Amino acid sequence: MIVLPDTSTEVAIATTTLSSAASTITFSSIPSTYTDLRIVLTGTSSSGSPFIRFNSDTGTNYSYTVLRGDGTSASSSRESTLDKIWLSFGAGPSAGNPDFFTVDVFSYAGSTNKTCLTTSSMNHNGTDEEVARNVGLWRSTSAITTITLSRNVGNFNTGTTATLYGIL
Amino acid sequence: MPSSRILIASNTLSSSAASVTFSSIPSTYTDLVLKVSTRTTSTGGGSNGLRIYFNGSGATTNYSYTRLNGNGSAAASAAFTAQADGQFGWSPNDSLTANTFGNSEVYIPNYAGSTNKQFSGFGLSEDNSTTAQMAATAVLFSNTAAITSLTVLGSVDFKSGSTFWLYGLKNS
Amino acid sequence: MAVTKLSNSGIKTGVLKYDSMLAGNAPFDPAATWLIQRVNGTGSSGVITFSNIPQTYQHLQIRFIAKNSTTTSVADHLYLQANGLTTSTYYSHFMYGSGTAAFAGNFMTQPQVTIRDAIYRSNATYPNMFGVGIIDIHDYTNTSKLKTVRAFTGRDGNGDGVVTLSSGVYPATSAITSLTLSSATGNFTTTTSFALYGFKG
Repeated sequence: MIVLPDTSTEVAIATTTLSSAASTITFSSIPSTYTDLRIVLTGTSSSGSPFIRFNSDTGTNYSYTVLRGDGTSASSSRESTLDKIWLSFGAGPSAGNPDFFTVDVFSYAGSTNKTCLTTSSMNHNGTDEEVARNVGLWRSTSAITTITLSRNVGNFNTGTTATLYGIL
Repeated sequence: MPSSRILIASNTLSSSAASVTFSSIPSTYTDLVLKVSTRTTSTGGGSNGLRIYFNGSGATTNYSYTRLNGNGSAAASAAFTAQADGQFGWSPNDSLTANTFGNSEVYIPNYAGSTNKQFSGFGLSEDNSTTAQMAATAVLFSNTAAITSLTVLGSVDFKSGSTFWLYGLKNS
Repeated sequence: MAVTKLSNSGIKTGVLKYDSMLAGNAPFDPAATWLIQRVNGTGSSGVITFSNIPQTYQHLQIRFIAKNSTTTSVADHLYLQANGLTTSTYYSHFMYGSGTAAFAGNFMTQPQVTIRDAIYRSNATYPNMFGVGIIDIHDYTNTSKLKTVRAFTGRDGNGDGVVTLSSGVYPATSAITSLTLSSATGNFTTTTSFALYGFKG
């Protein structure tokens, strides 16, 4: 008898590919079944910078510390008591070249404050570019049920894809 | 719900090779992840950059990348344009501590899409010395064709025992 | 010989015959990612061990969220040992952002792989804040290779924090059958959790 596993370890919970430009992408009703979440975001934009929020919290409950390379020098910076966690840290978007971000959120359904690790890949062929690794904090002990990806200015262009994975 | 990650193919070198190619990559996944454990055969210079190109396009200059690098004593960043391939990690060579292989991974999202391809690398060499290379890279492949093959290379031959594991991730 | 699929509709309308054991079903794709074991902190130990690691995977990954019981100062390194080796033969390298500058460095001749500054202490200034990370080990069963560790870790405390890329070596060609994660000081809190995953090859 072949016994198949009941629950897969790494599962795509939801995905969206924009059929028209949008300023926000939202994952809602996130099940509490998994331990960690991973968001994979790739696409183009003409303006602004992307950021992430949890449970629609727009309060100043976020902070981050980033390690960044811009093609000239390695640097690090920090911001605290913010209303968001940025996904890019100085480089602007490129309308013709997609940028690529990942966000790993740890113990998202637990009762601790929520910490995430993000990667930022924004190479624009020699112009206004960055590679970054970031740790972000959302000071809330609530389980994460909603994740919102947004831009401070402008839209995610048509064709932008965002996928939410659950990791057991 | 089915698991999202599937092994597509692998290659373990039984003799040295200048490069490793995965061809006929199915378009049925959303993203690709390549995990490698490599060592190169040269005996000078320490570590070799681990690089990748797609669709047999190694002779073109469609690649650019931004690199954040640590060498065991200092962090630095550099930019590369008009390249024939993109760096995603490092590989120790035969001048470094014996039996040491690097640990690198590259994530290629939307590889079968019709846009230019932005992808991410994190990889490192190691050595029993204060100097060892590690890098995080953001790489752009300026070509809208779907990726159907990928080639990994390292400036000099990969040593026997180097391994390459290609996974596909499905987003639905 | 054809494969016959028996179903309610088939009984009513006539049995269907297939030339494949799939009998009209999609091929099964075996998953590549598996949770092997999860170990949580107990509050009374600064050590977490994954033992009897099956040798049936190709690569290992550890994902963690960690805090220890030390109440003074800020944070601690995370130590990794394999197969019970405790001799000062490990070595590690790192690159990190402190929030003000980028640095790189190394730990040589150590009794463990050192993943820098990855665990928050239970300082009242950083309540309920944790270090997190992802640690990857490729080819852990290979008996011709030393085992190279690669890690991405971070901690942020709203005005404090470090994000780090680390590497290290378990200096033996033995297949890894156990991994020990430990805190440089204190005990792991009960809210600490380490999970070990295997990737199929």
